[in-house]
Amino acid sequence: MMGPILLIILPFLGAFLLPIIYRHYNQAGYWAAPVVLVISLVICIGLWHGVNIVGPQSLVMGGVSAPLGIVFYVDALSILFVLVLLVGSLILWLGAWHRRIKEEMLLLLMVGGGSGLVLSGDLFNIYVFFEIVAVASYGLSASRRGDPCGYAASLRFLLLGSLGSAFILLGIAIIYALTGTLNLSHLAMLAPQALHGMAGLSAFALMLIGFAVKAELFPVNTWVAEVYAHAPVRISALLAGIVSKLAIIVVLRLLLLLYAHEQAYMLLLCIGVAGLITGELAAFYAKDLRRMLAYSSIGQLSVIAIAFSIPGTLGVVSGLALALHHALVKTGLFMLTEKWKGSISSLQGMAHSAKWPSVLLIIFALSLIGVPPLPGFWAKFLLFKAGFSAGGGYSYAMLLILLSIIIEAAYFFRVIHLLYQTPAASSTPLIPRNKELQPMLVISGLLLLVMLTIDPIYHHLSKIATQVVDVQAYIDHTLPAWKSTH
Amino acid sequence: MSFRDISALGLLLGLGVLLITVLVHFPFSGSNLTGVGSSINALAAKEIGTANIVTSVLLAYRGLDTLGELMILFVAATAAGMVLAQSPEEDALSLQKLNSFPAAGFVLRVATHVLFPFLLLLGAYIIIHGHLTPGGGFQGGAILAAAFFIPVLTTPAGPFAHQTSSLVEGLAGSSFIIIGLLALFGQGSFLAPLGSPGVVGELFSAGSVPLLSAAIGIKVGSELAGLLARFIQA
Repeated sequence: MMGPILLIILPFLGAFLLPIIYRHYNQAGYWAAPVVLVISLVICIGLWHGVNIVGPQSLVMGGVSAPLGIVFYVDALSILFVLVLLVGSLILWLGAWHRRIKEEMLLLLMVGGGSGLVLSGDLFNIYVFFEIVAVASYGLSASRRGDPCGYAASLRFLLLGSLGSAFILLGIAIIYALTGTLNLSHLAMLAPQALHGMAGLSAFALMLIGFAVKAELFPVNTWVAEVYAHAPVRISALLAGIVSKLAIIVVLRLLLLLYAHEQAYMLLLCIGVAGLITGELAAFYAKDLRRMLAYSSIGQLSVIAIAFSIPGTLGVVSGLALALHHALVKTGLFMLTEKWKGSISSLQGMAHSAKWPSVLLIIFALSLIGVPPLPGFWAKFLLFKAGFSAGGGYSYAMLLILLSIIIEAAYFFRVIHLLYQTPAASSTPLIPRNKELQPMLVISGLLLLVMLTIDPIYHHLSKIATQVVDVQAYIDHTLPAWKSTH
Repeated sequence: MSFRDISALGLLLGLGVLLITVLVHFPFSGSNLTGVGSSINALAAKEIGTANIVTSVLLAYRGLDTLGELMILFVAATAAGMVLAQSPEEDALSLQKLNSFPAAGFVLRVATHVLFPFLLLLGAYIIIHGHLTPGGGFQGGAILAAAFFIPVLTTPAGPFAHQTSSLVEGLAGSSFIIIGLLALFGQGSFLAPLGSPGVVGELFSAGSVPLLSAAIGIKVGSELAGLLARFIQA
């Protein structure tokens, strides 16, 4: 089995060769990057089938088995999120297409790094891939030329992100010092004795802060609104919709494998609750459409963090459902703001001149709020089921989420209300061109498809969740009988 | 005190508490070590054939991490190149500015030419001895970059072949991946050591490790030189 490594290597190779191909065969360069992504997608779908039939697989790198070498763990969860990453970047590539070599290279590198991030079964390897994704996202967020605010925003993003990466590295160093290994399954074996003390939990807190920068969790999400308001809209959609999910999946893996401990769950719950309150209130008071979406994305990711902090399969299922739903809907919402940036009040009466975009905005917003029968309702329903059955502090968190849904509904209905008022006399209609609507149409099509197939999707997600929660299977697959020779 | 100051203070206090917790509870005795490191120390010379154990970890046991580091450098250079890239008018303007810089004096210019072959030699030496002595691709690559960058410092208006440097960069980077892929198709595992370990301590030993070192060195050298030249011209 060599599929998983190709998922990482092909985009990297593509990024190296792209400038050379462009220089000699301009037309081939135009198609090179999408072709790489499509090939990766085909491989990924093949792996998806394979994993569904034979179950999780491990893949040894460098010919040295774990824990001395690096091992990849290919299970339904990691393949699912590689699939989301690939489909997402292909959808964002539809419609407008610019011949900007460097941006294409950065996007390819981000795809390769993101695939490695979720597939890798080694703590330091995860850090390396996280850095690739992080640096690529700093670059992409500054890719709009001649926008001083955008440069300032991405510089602050870079500073905060570097601080976060330093924290991750510190956390990994502490874990290595405590245990002497970096392999996740080896660590999972040692975790109950070695990592559940105060030093080990502090290492988790440090790593959580670091990954939280990309996962938009409290308190390191201050970059979010500024960057999403100024970055090119496709990049905002990619970062908010997909990259943030990859980071939170890594947090989930660490939590389940290394820190299945009450205090670690509580820490994630507290961070989630704090992020939910601040994010939704900031979204309510936001005056700018993109900033509102950015703050709402902070709130949604905090909800996902709360879902993952519920121990057991139910929490994981609801978190996965929320993450997938948010990946679809927030990507679509951000893509709609291509022409609609700036103050919300400039949208007054826009529905009369731009019918379809308004309808799409309403569908996405309703699904995000969680109005039945749209998929968002089912995701939140699963969350409440998990949260209330867990009881204790989780019940209060669920009440808070109910409250946040009301706030969410308030600010989205305010926008929708504005859309259907009579247009202001002085306004010029900002109608997205039909070509720009293609990605949104694909996304809303996917949303409707999900709505019709809720039941099989739910069964699949619960299968994934039982697989993810099974730590012993992870250890058995990735760590062969190993004896140290010291 | 504004709200911003208070929240910053709270954040700092929290971090301080976290770091002090680590210091207080950290077992400095290291009794929990699992022996992964000592196993590598014992096995590296036999399995990989490198006299320098660090290189065996970098290029064999954790070769994928090194590929990742290479990619991080590449991403950073690409992103910086993108941000610093200029439109043709801006380019002409900055060329004018560069032309107004006088070239360095006679001594510096001649010294650059004299230094150039020695820097190349030193860089190449450090790269190809990466599996024997401390050093290797990244360090040697930085010296190679210096060899090509010092002429740009002494004569800023002189030409720098960005096209060639990016061509070399792309090809060297892909050759690292291609060596890895050869191992994948030959040995069934990405970046598995190819060839026999040979006699430890000889120049031609350690299988494909020196080739990987060379790919890294050329890649890093052309990348850093290109990036630094970009900084001067922007």
